[in-house]
Amino acid sequence: MQAAAGDMTVIKADRVETITSGMIENGIIVIEDGRIKAIGNDVEIPETADIIDVSDKTVFPGLVNPSSRIGLSASPGGGPSSNPHYRIVDELYPHQDVYQRILRAGFTTVGLVPGGTGVTGQGAIVRPMGRKPEEMIVAESELLTIGFQANDSNKKIIKDALESAKSKTSSSDPRVKPLVNALQGKVPTFLTCRGPGEMLHLMKLLKPYGKMRLVLIAGSEKYRIAGQLADKKIPVVLPAQTDFEPPTRNRINVPAMLADAGVKIALRPRADTIQGHEDFFRQIAELVKSGLDQEIAKKAITIHPAEMLGVDYRLGSLEAGKDANLLILSGAPMDVGTRIHMVMMEGKIVHKAP
Amino acid sequence: MDGIQTNRVVYTYRLLLAVLSAFVALPLLADEPATAIKGGDLYTITSGIIKNGTILIEDGRISRIGQNVEVPKNAKVIDARGKVVMPGLVAATAEVGIAGFGSTNKIADSLDPFSNSVSMALASGVTTAFVSRGRPSDNNPIGGTNAVIKTTYGDLDNMLVREPVAENVTISSVEWLRKTNFLQNLRKAQNYLQKLDTYTRTKDNNRKQEEPKKPSGIDAYIRLLKRQLPARLQAATAGDILGILELVDEFGIRIILEEVVEGWIVAEEIAKRDVCVIITPRHKRRPNEDISGPSGSTLENAAILKKAGVKLAIVPTSPNFATWGIAGRDLITLPMEAAFAVSGGLDERTALEAITITAAEIIGVADRVGSLQVGKDADIIILDGHPFHHKTFVEVTLVNGKVLYEKKNSTYFAHIQHDN
Repeated sequence: MQAAAGDMTVIKADRVETITSGMIENGIIVIEDGRIKAIGNDVEIPETADIIDVSDKTVFPGLVNPSSRIGLSASPGGGPSSNPHYRIVDELYPHQDVYQRILRAGFTTVGLVPGGTGVTGQGAIVRPMGRKPEEMIVAESELLTIGFQANDSNKKIIKDALESAKSKTSSSDPRVKPLVNALQGKVPTFLTCRGPGEMLHLMKLLKPYGKMRLVLIAGSEKYRIAGQLADKKIPVVLPAQTDFEPPTRNRINVPAMLADAGVKIALRPRADTIQGHEDFFRQIAELVKSGLDQEIAKKAITIHPAEMLGVDYRLGSLEAGKDANLLILSGAPMDVGTRIHMVMMEGKIVHKAP
Repeated sequence: MDGIQTNRVVYTYRLLLAVLSAFVALPLLADEPATAIKGGDLYTITSGIIKNGTILIEDGRISRIGQNVEVPKNAKVIDARGKVVMPGLVAATAEVGIAGFGSTNKIADSLDPFSNSVSMALASGVTTAFVSRGRPSDNNPIGGTNAVIKTTYGDLDNMLVREPVAENVTISSVEWLRKTNFLQNLRKAQNYLQKLDTYTRTKDNNRKQEEPKKPSGIDAYIRLLKRQLPARLQAATAGDILGILELVDEFGIRIILEEVVEGWIVAEEIAKRDVCVIITPRHKRRPNEDISGPSGSTLENAAILKKAGVKLAIVPTSPNFATWGIAGRDLITLPMEAAFAVSGGLDERTALEAITITAAEIIGVADRVGSLQVGKDADIIILDGHPFHHKTFVEVTLVNGKVLYEKKNSTYFAHIQHDN
C-alpha cells in the first residue's frame, strides 16, 4: 500500500481546496512516502518526481464518513446489552464490492460502528480497501459506541458499565478497557438516540463522566436542543438531508440550524448504501442550496468527521504532514456536472475514471 | 379602625418581605423578572370569578391575584383584557409525553418533553396529566406504573410531578382469577401487617419472638392497605362497581373508579364510601335486557353522581391528543366533554372543577395545580371566550409561568379566526 521510500509524486492542479487553509489557485502538492510533503502555489518541484498534471482540475481531500455500517450485516435486534469488548474488526468482510464502490465515490475513510442498543462495542476507522480486516484499519483508536433508548433497562446497562470502569485508570480486561479509555477521553464515544428528548435523558445520564469525548449520531429533530448541544460542545453527525418540521410539511435544514447555533456538524450519506455514498456531493449541494454555509458544508464532510474520529492529525484536510488521501475533481465539488476524475489513497492512485 | 389596622399589617408584611428579599431571596428573584397577566376575567375555580383581575407570577408560581395587584415595573405583562383566564386543564387520564418505543418500568426514565403530544396538549390547554405505562400481566391484578406529568415542552427536569400516584388494578367480573388473586394478596398483606404490628408492640417484653417475614410480591398491597396510594380500576356496570365497593368495606383501601357508566344507578353507594370517579359523559352503553333493574348509560350520569356527593373528574372518550378535528372526542376538546355533562344537568361550576381542581385532587396533585391560588404553580390558560362555548380557543398557555403556547404563532390553529 505505502509507496516505496523516496517515491515522489507532484500534482499540479487548477485549484486545491485545503479545507483548513483556504483555496490555493494553481496549486502544487508534493507527495512523498504517501504523505503530503509540501503544498502551495510557490512550491519547488523536485526533479525526480512523477508529475500528475491536472491543471484544469480541482483537488479536494478524501471524504470521511464518520459513522456507517456499510458492508456489515443488519444491526442485532432484541433488548439492550452491554458488549464493550465487541470489536467491529471481527465483523468485517473486506472482500466486498461495496468498499470499492464507495472508494470510487470519494470516501477514503469510514468509521464503522457496531449496531444495536446498550453499550454496543468498539467501532473502527477503516480505509475502504484491503484484503484483510487488519489492512483496512487506519488507526488503532477504537471508538466506543452507545445505543441509547429512554427506558430504565437501557439506562441501567449503560450506567452499570460506566460505573464498573469509573475508578480504574487502566485495565487489561477486554470488557473494561474500552470503557476506561472512553471515560478518560482517550477515544471518542459515539452516541445514538432517537429524539431530542432522549438526548436530554442521555446528557443527564452522562453528566458525571465529564472527560468523555461525546459525538452524537443523530437523525432529525435534534435542532430542538441545538443550544444545549452547543453549550456542551457536543458535535453532531447528521444525514445529509432536509427534514420536515414535525408535525408539519415545512422543510427545515437541520444541519444549517445546528451549525448556526454553533454546533460542530459532520454529514454522512442520507442512506447508508452504495447509492447513498455515490450521490453524496449532490446531497450536500442540496443542503447548501437550502441554507447551509458552503464552507461549513465542506468541513462537515472532511475535517469535522476526522476530528470526531480523532484522526484529524493525519486526515481530513490537505496539509503538509497529512496522508495524501485526495480526490481530483473535474470542477467545483458541488457543481452538478462535476465528476471524480481520480481517487488517491496515501499517495497511490486507487481509482481513475475511464 | 379596621382598615387602618389592616394597612398596618400589610405595611409590616411588606417591610418584612423587602428585608427578606434583600438578604435571602435576592438570588431567586434575580433569576427572572415577574410576569403579570392583566385585565382578564379570572376563573379561579376555588374562589369564584374575579372580573378584570391581575395575576402576578414569580419564580414559576402565582404570587398575587386580585383586582388591585401592583405590577412591578420590570414585569413582563400579558394583556388579557376581554379574555378568560383560568388554571391549565387537568387530564385525569392521558397519553402524552412518553417516548413511544420500548417498555419502561419507570415513566421518569422515558419522558419526552419534545413529543408532539406535549405541544398538542399545550394547544388544547392541558397542562397536567395522569399517564400510565404497562398493564398487569397474566392473572396479576396489579401492574405497570403511572405518574402525573406537566406539559413542560422542552424541559425534562420539571416535567415529572409525582410517580407513582396510584396502583393500576385490573379486575372484573369476567376475569374472576384476577379478583381472586387480588383478594388473596390483600388478605396476605393484611395478615402480615397484623403480625408485624403484634411483633412491634410486644418485642420488648418477649425477646424470643421472631420478626414476621414479609411474603414476596405484596408491597403494592401494603401500600393500598396503608392508604398510601389509591387503587385505580375500571368498572362500567353497576354490578362491577358494587363488587369493587365491597373492597372498600372489607379492606378500607382508597379507590378511584374509571368508566362508571352505570354509576348513576349506584350513586349513593359510591358516595357512601368516598370513592372518586373519572367519567366520560358521552359514554354510550345499551341497557342490558337480561337484568331486571335499570341499566345502560345516561347523559345525566355526572349530574346524578354529583347530587349524591361523589367527587368526579371528566375525561373524553379517547385519552390522546390527535388531529381528528376540532370537535373531536379526544383531549383536544376536554372542556367540550365537560360541557356534555352540563347538558346532562350538571352545574357549570362542578363541570369546570371536574377538568381542573377535582381532577387534580383525584390524581393527587391538588397541592400544586388545578386552581388560580397564591402559591400554586403558574399553569394558566388564556381563552378567547367561555371555556364551554363551542367557538372558544386557547390563546395562550403558560406552564410554570413560562409561555409555552401562543395560538397566533403556532401551526395548529393560527389560521382559524372568528370575527367576534
